[in-house]
Amino acid sequence: MTAPTRVLVVDDEPQILRFLRASLSASGFEVMEAATGAEALKHAAGDAPEIVVLDLGLPDMDGKEVIKKLREWSEVPIIVLSARAREAEKVEALDLGADDYVSKPFGIAELLARLRAALRHRMRRQGEVPVVKAGDLKVDVARRKVTRGETEIRLTPKEFDLLRLLALNAGKVVTHRQLLETVWGPAHRDDTAYLRVFIGQLRRKIDADDAAPSCIENAAGVGYRLRDEE
Amino acid sequence: MSLSDEPLRPEPEALLKEAGRANRGRLKIYLGMAPGVGKTYAMLEGARAATAAGRHVVVGIVETHGRAETAGLLQGLDVLPRQSISHRGHKLEEFDLAAALARRPDLILVDELAHTNAPDCLHPKRWQDVEELLFAGIDVHTTLNVQHLESLNDAVARITGVRVRETVPDRILEQADEVELVDLTPTELVERLHQGKVYAPELAGRALEKFFNPGNLAALREMALRRTADRVDDQVTGYMRAHGIEGPWPVNERILVCIGRDPASALAVRAGRRLADQLQAPWIVLHVERPGVPLTLPRDDDPAEVALKLAADLGARVERLAGRDLPGEILRFARRSNVSQIIIGRSRASWLKEILRRSLAHELVRRSNGIAVHVLTQQVASGGIPRLRLRLPAGWLPWVASMAAIGLAVLAGDVIPDLNRPGNISLLLLGAVLFSAVTFGRVVSAAASVVAFLAYDFFFLDPLLTFHITHWADFVTLLIFLVTAIVTGTLAGIVREQAEAAQARIKSTRALYDFSRRLGATFRLDDLLHAVAIHANRVADRQAMVLLVEGEALSISHAWPPEDQLDASGWAAARWAREHAEPAGYGTDTLPRSDWHFRPMRTKDAVIGVIGIRRTGEERGPSLEMLRSLDAVLDQAAVAIERIAFAEEAAKVEALHATDRLRNALLSSISHDLRTPLTSILGSATTLRQQDARLDEAARAELLSTIEQEADRLDRFVADLLNMTRLEAGALETKSDWIDVSDLLDSAIRRFAREPKAGMLRRKLPGSLPLIKADFVLLENVLVNLIDNALKHAAGATLIEVAARPAGHRLEIAVTDDGAGIAAAALPHLFDKFYSGDRSDSGRAGAGLGLSICKGLVEAMGGTIAVASPTETGRGARFAVSFAVPQQPVPAAELGAEA
Repeated sequence: MTAPTRVLVVDDEPQILRFLRASLSASGFEVMEAATGAEALKHAAGDAPEIVVLDLGLPDMDGKEVIKKLREWSEVPIIVLSARAREAEKVEALDLGADDYVSKPFGIAELLARLRAALRHRMRRQGEVPVVKAGDLKVDVARRKVTRGETEIRLTPKEFDLLRLLALNAGKVVTHRQLLETVWGPAHRDDTAYLRVFIGQLRRKIDADDAAPSCIENAAGVGYRLRDEE
Repeated sequence: MSLSDEPLRPEPEALLKEAGRANRGRLKIYLGMAPGVGKTYAMLEGARAATAAGRHVVVGIVETHGRAETAGLLQGLDVLPRQSISHRGHKLEEFDLAAALARRPDLILVDELAHTNAPDCLHPKRWQDVEELLFAGIDVHTTLNVQHLESLNDAVARITGVRVRETVPDRILEQADEVELVDLTPTELVERLHQGKVYAPELAGRALEKFFNPGNLAALREMALRRTADRVDDQVTGYMRAHGIEGPWPVNERILVCIGRDPASALAVRAGRRLADQLQAPWIVLHVERPGVPLTLPRDDDPAEVALKLAADLGARVERLAGRDLPGEILRFARRSNVSQIIIGRSRASWLKEILRRSLAHELVRRSNGIAVHVLTQQVASGGIPRLRLRLPAGWLPWVASMAAIGLAVLAGDVIPDLNRPGNISLLLLGAVLFSAVTFGRVVSAAASVVAFLAYDFFFLDPLLTFHITHWADFVTLLIFLVTAIVTGTLAGIVREQAEAAQARIKSTRALYDFSRRLGATFRLDDLLHAVAIHANRVADRQAMVLLVEGEALSISHAWPPEDQLDASGWAAARWAREHAEPAGYGTDTLPRSDWHFRPMRTKDAVIGVIGIRRTGEERGPSLEMLRSLDAVLDQAAVAIERIAFAEEAAKVEALHATDRLRNALLSSISHDLRTPLTSILGSATTLRQQDARLDEAARAELLSTIEQEADRLDRFVADLLNMTRLEAGALETKSDWIDVSDLLDSAIRRFAREPKAGMLRRKLPGSLPLIKADFVLLENVLVNLIDNALKHAAGATLIEVAARPAGHRLEIAVTDDGAGIAAAALPHLFDKFYSGDRSDSGRAGAGLGLSICKGLVEAMGGTIAVASPTETGRGARFAVSFAVPQQPVPAAELGAEA
């Protein structure tokens, strides 16, 4: 990366802005700041940020409202900040078009990981990458082939569809609803039980080590995410 | 009290009396000796002056009697329209009290205080309307002729020969703030009468003859002047007492009026009142009765009750006394109460009675040592003394049965030869008479005696089958038989009636006892009121209703037999009874035409409701006996209600204390638990800033990870607090969803990633586990708490196992450590709020909230939580959360074949 990535941070708490400014600048971002929804929309239109970090609790309007307005004309990746235990709010934001979320309080490492994943995904979309790698797991989307190291892993069609969707969004959270609607159809958008069962099967097939955390990460109350780094 | 004891400071009672008037309206009475002296005229002049002075004056009701001068004065004044009431086809115009109250003027004129209202008005008497206005804080000006005063009623009747029926209690005049005497000499009044200025000319002649003769007028005038002078005197002494002015107080007299079942009792009460007024003395009315006599229930036309009511109206203190030696009891009472004069009324009885019975009055006079005794006599009007109050039995059955009994006796005497002897016959017939006496009472037995007497003569004395008597000895026998029959019959009848009365008393006593026992055992207001309604129904034998004050308004609470409606006049009576804390409805002076009688239910500082009973048939009022029983119910109910209110209050206070203790404990633990991590964070951060150069890499890393860990701990603690407040408020919403337990364990363990002791954590899962239904975030919270607990508190632990396993139809998630374990004594309290096993002031962070929250959350999600220590290994402790495994959601076929 030659030019620093421009990130717009929207939060009304000065302390959070301060610490984000310091750590994001140190990580090679060019930081723009906004404390209100209106300011955020103005910056987004005028300064063309490449990614937005948006706190859902803003003084002048609901953060979700900002997402809705942004999505009317912009595809810029949006990472939402929201308190833990407010899962419903996160799901709503994601369904409105946000790309990912970070629960407050958070460590900077987590935020940076989300930012990178979202940016990577953006690039991928532009230049269509048919093979996704997560550790030594390789998902060849076009050829419907999954391998770990040299061994091929056999999956049922539904299992593959599930893994494909997660792989295409590797590193990003995919909500239960998005998974259910895509794999089982809109009639099953609330049947989370299917998801639990199939994810369980999928994990048993693709995970190398039962004791280590699975490569399909559970985002409590929100969805699943395929680990795609390290 | 002697003169020297008299305090020189204001008397509290006198001051209180003045203060009590503060919110009441002021009453001014224009007092005159007779109609036509110009009271109304004077009142209207006063009203015009008040209007001119800017006061809002309304003419409530004024009778001009066609006098032009009076009518002229009405011009320009604000006159309240009268309400018209139709009564038996007549249209009557009355003062409209409700409209007057609604207008709320500063001052209202109400003419003719002694007027009797039309039957459908709120009160039967106009003076009661006036009291209502005063009660509402409205000033009233009114007019009154002296002959209408209750205590002068007898005197006026004696002087003028005309008994005035419309009377006003003396206390009204007494309580008036101002009395203005409108005076005219008798000659002038007669002159005015002749000029037609008092009555229309065609009526004048008759009125003049009867009433307006100079002698009458002079006497009435003197009365009016005297009463006004008395009042002035009263005001002066009242003022002097209230302001502590030393003065020559009247001798301390005290008057006792004895009343009983004598028509002269009312007379004695009025006389007592007059005497008390003149002597400025307190007076007591004492109701005396011989034991045994009042066994029959008292009735409202009983002279004693009439006199008692009059006494209350006239403002006496009323006492009751019963005893065998009446004169002795009365004198003892008199001496105890420092009575100086006794008044007793007595009907002039026949000379025979005078001789036979030494009267109470004689006895009192003989034994009254140093107490003056006044005896008032009254000629007994025909039928004046209700001596024998005989009740006729209802229906024909008693008559037929007694006649049949006599017939049977005659038949037995005729048919059975052995019985056909004079002695036997009379006993047989006597038996029949006694039978009817015992079964049906005195009236029937008297009739039976006569019939038996005739039957004896007709069937058994020669000549047979005629009423003739030949032997004088037979005549004597017959006469003796008659007397014997009547006397024994009457005695038996009295015994029966007394037994009945005693029975009734026993019944009511038992009912009252039952009632009080029931009240004692009742702890809910609702049950209590229900019991009150039922009991009131039982003692009154009428439908009973309890209304309670809720907020500001009365509402029907309970009725027995059940009823939830009340007609308009019933409501009016109930509200009046509550507002004035006095009975209202039928049988009282307020809304007497209502079908309900309401009595206030009072606790020590407020009227909390009313109890009502419903009129049956055409009865005029509830009997005094019934009211007494009802009042007993009311007293008991009020005490019980107060008791319940106190209990509720105490419970509330107790709950408040408990909440307080909880809050204090919470505050102290929160401050502790929040400060510990904050201290570490602040300490580490400041060290890093100031000592940066001197710190080696390892120390720096140590400080940084301290900051991270402590921040994590704060975060957990805040989540706990949030959950606890939600649990406490009952506002916890659980989102039940399918959970893969492995996700749960991963997620919970990941939260301890920065914890140095995280290496002790071991995840243990069998290959495949069923899904459970719970709230992921809350259950994760529980698990985090349990792990945190083990890390912090399990002394000497080397391994902490986080495991899930199926257990029958349940799934168990357990956190097990291999530490020292938990003391057996502490186990039962582990899940209590603020209980912390190793807690001491220097103890490690832990509000003791964690486990209680875990329990709350798990139970809210339908699971259970338990602790075991030591575990199977003989060491450590195991906290296990368990959930039922529901029907698994996906049918096998859905799993699909492998690609």
